[in-house]
Amino acid sequence: MADQVTFQSDVEEFLPQLYSAALRMTRNPADAEDVLQEALLKAYRGYHTFKAGTNLKAWLYRILTNTFINKYRQKTRRPAEVELGELEDLYLFKRLGETGTGGASRSAEEDALEQFVDEDIKNAVEALPENFRLPVLLADVEGFSYKEIAEIMDVPIGTVMSRLHRGRKQLQRALWRVAEERGIGTSS
Amino acid sequence: MKSNCRETQEKVYRYLDSEMGPYRRWQVRRHLRRCPPCTDGFSFESSLKQRVQKGCVDDVPEELLTRIKAFLGQNGPTDTSVDPTAGGSDV
Repeated sequence: MADQVTFQSDVEEFLPQLYSAALRMTRNPADAEDVLQEALLKAYRGYHTFKAGTNLKAWLYRILTNTFINKYRQKTRRPAEVELGELEDLYLFKRLGETGTGGASRSAEEDALEQFVDEDIKNAVEALPENFRLPVLLADVEGFSYKEIAEIMDVPIGTVMSRLHRGRKQLQRALWRVAEERGIGTSS
Repeated sequence: MKSNCRETQEKVYRYLDSEMGPYRRWQVRRHLRRCPPCTDGFSFESSLKQRVQKGCVDDVPEELLTRIKAFLGQNGPTDTSVDPTAGGSDV
């Protein structure tokens, strides 16, 4: 059982991550602030139900995710789940490799990654349909395990894996579009 | 593409996410040791994952931080009926 008195100091270190996650979920600062504040209030009020010694970060993300879903999912009755067909594995790597100089250095594709600006990454993540965006966010940005993500989102682990897989590929497709527009990865 | 490469590349996420048992990990590593193109691909995916993480960091606005600290500091008694992780209707 956790003590409400220590709540503020216990959660403080997670605030930047939680705020960033709320921004990716809601895609605008005003809604992100609302979601974060509401989630923190719920967490504070229910802090006695948190078992000390278990994963506080996962507990907070579960509350944040629930708050977001409850608040915003009603707006879009059916979450857009666009089926774009299966993309091959290592999609972006292969696309970047095709355009690069033939005998380029081994890390030419990885160098190309540094040519994306943070805004490109954020836009690509935020462009994902919600069903895919949440697992990508929780896995790639927050580093949660599949099991933790399944608990946070309250879906089976197999669902997490397939959405994560497809979400990451869609992310790669979005980044490839940016790369094409800006000539990233092409030989200079 | 060789079928070994395809099989290995299918496992790239489970491998990088450390969501794989020791035997399968060993199988992937064994292939990577012999296959520079797949090694480069795995390395790229790993870098991409880090790039996504790095690109998704935002600073909390100072004003919001102040507001959060203020409301956390002055909240009323515990509402013991609420399990905040429970789904369902909004509070």
